[in-house]
Amino acid sequence: MASSRRAEGRGRWDWGCPETRSRLEEVFFGNQDIIRRGSEDCRRFWAFFERLQTFQKPKPGPAAKQLAEGPRCPALAGLPATYDPRYRINLALLSGEGEPGLGARGQLPRDQLAEFRRAVLHYLDFGQKQSFGKLAKLQRERAALPVARYRGHLLQALREHQVVVVAGDTGCGKSTQVPQYLLAAGFSHVACTQPRRIACISLAKRVGFESLNQYGSQVGYQIRFESTRSPATGIVFLTEGLLLRQIQREPGLPQYQVLIVDEVHERHLHSDFLLGVLRRLLPARPDLKLVLMSATINISLFSSYFSCAPVVQVPGRLFPISVIYQPIAKEEVPTSRAERLDPRPFLRVLQAIDHKYPPEERGDLLVFLSGMAEIGAVLEAFQPYAAHTKRWVVLPLHSALSIADQDKVFDMPPPGVRKCILSTNIAETSVTIDGVRFVLDSGKVKEMSFDPKAKLQRLQEFWISRASAEQRKGRAGRTGPGVCYRLYAESDYDAFAPYPVPEIQRVALDALVLQMKSMGLGDPRGFPFIEPPPAASLETAIVYLRDQGALDASEHLTPIGTLLSQLPVDVVIGKILILGCMFDLVEPVLTMAAALSVQSPFVRSAQSNLECGTARKPLESDHGDPFTLLNAFNAWVQVKSDRSANSRKWCRRRGLEEHRMYEIANLRQQFKGLLQDHGLLAEARAVPGDSYSRQQRHRQRRELYQLKRQHEEGEGRKRKVLRLEALDGGSSSGEDAEASGSQAGGGAHRMDIQDVKFKLRHDVDQLQAAASSAQDLSRDQLALLKLVLGRGLYPQLAAPDQFNSCRKDSDQFFHTQSKQGAVLHPTCVFANNPDLLQGGQAEAQEKSLDRRDGPSGQHQLLAFVSLLETNKPYLVNCVRLPALQALLLFSRSLDTNGDCSCLVADGWLQLQLEGSEGATQLLSAALRLRARWEEALDHQLARQAQPRGEDGAAAAPKTERKAAAALGRDLLDFMRSKVSYSIHRLTALEAQNLYVGPQTITAAPQLPGLFGEAALTPNETKGGYTVTSFLTYNCLMSDADLYSDCLRTFWSCPHCGLYMPFTPLERMSHESSCPAAPDKDAHGEQEGGGPARGGGCLGLPGQPIRPSCGATSAQLSAHLLSLARGQRGGGGGRQPPGVHSAAGLPL
Amino acid sequence: MASSSEQEPRGMFECQLCGLTVPYSYVGQKPPNTRTVVLLEECYVLKDPFSSDKDKFLILGSQCSLCSKLVCVGPECSLFYSKRFCLPCVRENLSAFPQEIRQDVEKRHALSKTGSRKLASRT
Ligand SMILES: [Zn+2]
Ligand SMILES: [Zn+2]
Repeated sequence: MASSRRAEGRGRWDWGCPETRSRLEEVFFGNQDIIRRGSEDCRRFWAFFERLQTFQKPKPGPAAKQLAEGPRCPALAGLPATYDPRYRINLALLSGEGEPGLGARGQLPRDQLAEFRRAVLHYLDFGQKQSFGKLAKLQRERAALPVARYRGHLLQALREHQVVVVAGDTGCGKSTQVPQYLLAAGFSHVACTQPRRIACISLAKRVGFESLNQYGSQVGYQIRFESTRSPATGIVFLTEGLLLRQIQREPGLPQYQVLIVDEVHERHLHSDFLLGVLRRLLPARPDLKLVLMSATINISLFSSYFSCAPVVQVPGRLFPISVIYQPIAKEEVPTSRAERLDPRPFLRVLQAIDHKYPPEERGDLLVFLSGMAEIGAVLEAFQPYAAHTKRWVVLPLHSALSIADQDKVFDMPPPGVRKCILSTNIAETSVTIDGVRFVLDSGKVKEMSFDPKAKLQRLQEFWISRASAEQRKGRAGRTGPGVCYRLYAESDYDAFAPYPVPEIQRVALDALVLQMKSMGLGDPRGFPFIEPPPAASLETAIVYLRDQGALDASEHLTPIGTLLSQLPVDVVIGKILILGCMFDLVEPVLTMAAALSVQSPFVRSAQSNLECGTARKPLESDHGDPFTLLNAFNAWVQVKSDRSANSRKWCRRRGLEEHRMYEIANLRQQFKGLLQDHGLLAEARAVPGDSYSRQQRHRQRRELYQLKRQHEEGEGRKRKVLRLEALDGGSSSGEDAEASGSQAGGGAHRMDIQDVKFKLRHDVDQLQAAASSAQDLSRDQLALLKLVLGRGLYPQLAAPDQFNSCRKDSDQFFHTQSKQGAVLHPTCVFANNPDLLQGGQAEAQEKSLDRRDGPSGQHQLLAFVSLLETNKPYLVNCVRLPALQALLLFSRSLDTNGDCSCLVADGWLQLQLEGSEGATQLLSAALRLRARWEEALDHQLARQAQPRGEDGAAAAPKTERKAAAALGRDLLDFMRSKVSYSIHRLTALEAQNLYVGPQTITAAPQLPGLFGEAALTPNETKGGYTVTSFLTYNCLMSDADLYSDCLRTFWSCPHCGLYMPFTPLERMSHESSCPAAPDKDAHGEQEGGGPARGGGCLGLPGQPIRPSCGATSAQLSAHLLSLARGQRGGGGGRQPPGVHSAAGLPL
Repeated sequence: MASSSEQEPRGMFECQLCGLTVPYSYVGQKPPNTRTVVLLEECYVLKDPFSSDKDKFLILGSQCSLCSKLVCVGPECSLFYSKRFCLPCVRENLSAFPQEIRQDVEKRHALSKTGSRKLASRT
């Protein structure tokens, strides 16, 4: 089209001719000019110009009209006599000045130049009017907010008091306006906390826009992975957790003048805790102001917590809402927990709305249900009705939905159709949907509750509180008068609790206690919480942290606890990270830790999709869920690094939520930084690379930045209109949404902003290298990874039920120490392949059909990340581990009988080993390994506590790395050791009668100096002897010790040639201290690729034990030996001659 | 990074008619960072907050050439016809203005009336 419009000689003037336009742009839109060639502005100008042309054409030419009257005052004398629109523009343009005489290239006639100049002026004037209109509208809207009238009152109160409470309901404008009022009144360094990250971003954007700082840096936000904060930032929106971390670093919070804690009525764990911390901080910072913002719920609680702080109460802007109580008839109430919800009462409300309100009267319906299952049941019943009447579009809304599906609730229904949103309580406060006129409230909510005794999280259904009921009702009156249907009686409402149970009273408090300890807040039992948590929860948390090694016996932070308190993750995940650093498994461990800390990327609804299942198959690992997650992430990174591949599509095929992958990538980067900061990980040196590749990378980044900027400029997701047909019949969402999305976006060049951000934030090549190295993990590395996970997750272990092999796949049961009959999550790899856990049982079945837990070397345990109870207790994110080895290495309590063939781990799992020789060897090997592992960890932690070196890199010294590598190898050998054993869960009765109890022998046997000076103490509760903090020898009620003497057989030491009768214990003891043993420095030698790599470290019976050096392990074995003797002495057993000389081995 | 190029607010501009209050960053006829545009009156100017371009500016208002009141450029408060006039002054001297301006002022009057009526019905 453009080519046909050439400038035709001197005849007609054509504004559309490309050459003409180009000439004009050259003259007017240079680099110094206000409109620049090729810019978005330039494009807009030409569009404006074309409109102007068509608008001006029919104009008959300036009609010169003289003014009827002469001017009255001198100021009006100078007014132009003839009207021309150009007099109405208060701008003048200097561009193109003097150009008309433009010699040789002067193809632009004077008239046309003047006309063009006027057009530019009109365009600039138009732009001014538009921007000013926007500004004025903004100011009007701000002034019209209910909170605006309380501005002076609030500022006055804040000048006179340190703490002020602002109470107002949703829509009163407090969250956006109060920070601006403070800034305008001269306060600076304002921090405003939010419970949700997403609110930080949206508020920062909104407030930046309103305070005319959209493109400035005065308003910023700071969340886990992103910060837009700079020294110029006057207001920062951040999460409560982040502010707490800042207090942890700088207890006085010197960087702030005013703190605003928003949504305090939601009573989140962090916000309750933050209030407690701030109450302590305020006296130390008398200049610090604190504003609490709350809905009009329980205001006096907050005011009185801060010594009767003044309250500024702002009425909300709510339209009247009529309430209709429609309690569910008895026969429609589900009788048992398992029974599904009856959708009929809900459907009747839908019908009533259709009956009563004509479809032209707009207004959507918001239904509050307790959980996803309930949403599913109602959705199923509503969809046929919606399809039939063509008057409804039904949409689910809950946090497990993909982001794109969640976003749909903001789209518009077509005319004559209502939107019906089936939501959990997420829409109560977190998500605000405009246009809702009807609310249907089931009155139920599913909430996490915490059982401190079982350390179990439970998702249970409760009646909501009156405050929640009011909040739900209020959602109907935001844009006009509304109706609220309540599926309960008014008497029920009256019986509801006034407020929801604060989070602190229903969740595990481990992380909280850890943080309190690291902030030096003293005994958490005495902390002045606004409302204290249950004492039992605190106790459980303290015991748990002690068990996890984060607190010592006097409840002080241990070095590992200090480190854990600085990692913003679950204690077990933090432990896994620390442990992973030791064995050069950092890359996979970072990914796993990150993947276990975000919501599962596996989309639930894809579960039943056969195609998804097949596509997912190659990602599955038979070691357990964390490995499947690792595979999924690594495969995704590979796709990402391939420029031509479409990772979004790749994810959709596999039923993966790509957003979670981005989160994992961000989180693992953050973890890496933290580990580097704490000296656990050496900082990677920048790969030099040649200048060409550097340039290339530089150019890529520039392009990416440009893309990002483009996206931000054209921002704001345009509301789409929902399609009726796509939504009935279960809505296959994914493909549909994508297809319609690309249509709306205008074809192929739709940019994936997530992808751009990802590539800006991460070095994809580096990630890809890490991913491919993880894909090639050797069997050994895999086994070591499992060990790291196991040790981190311990004591979260579950044992398969002994009858599992006779059960259907879906009926597999597992038992933890405190919870029986847990099941696997359906996404778990073991749920579909239970035989992976039945190695031992299958084998046993061949031998003897009646004992499924019979002897085998293959028994497996599951280590799990969490235990979640909904309708059943579920084990979430499981790894399988070889049972015996795991228990020997991790158990906090190990009890043995006389010949160590019977072991009880943590008082609940009994292991019966075949052959006491193998048993003792294994036990002693475990003792040594544990000691070495502990020692290596101590070194690692000591290093992180040291000040960093000058170069910043705190790499482990070579010897330490060597020792760790050797330890890794020996651990692997240990894992491979083959011992046949049976495993048995103790019954309550058995557990009660487990120990022999305190004995009368008081004097512990003492061996002459050779084995160190450590005295053995008889265990005063269990009986037997305390060998180490976790091992109690010979305390089990057992008849095995009757035979212990018979086990002494003649043996000759392969190193020193000593030949004499030994019990297995004595033999090991000798070996570990035999001076003639060739490898006193075992690790060093093995490093050099010595002949006997892993030469049966814990070998197969008959093979010599290869002790590792280190006084600790030698001592431990010595203890074992001396124990064996002591027992004999005390028991008055027969002592074969020559035994004593065994103690007097040549040095 | 941004602070040096950012134009610090120099004070508050307040329209004496409608009360609109906005911080301004420049007063005069040559807005900073623009070389090819001049203003035909002494204006209170702000960097255009709705544009990422740092040389885009926004004119907030100026003094009425008759009564010297500080007024905003909003259509309910003032108009420009080779000079700035506040609407009260325009109405007082309506006959001194050309037909086009007179019509425009009447239109604005009608518009602002319906506008305020709308607003009233909402609250
Ligand atoms: Zn005004
Ligand atoms: Zn005037």
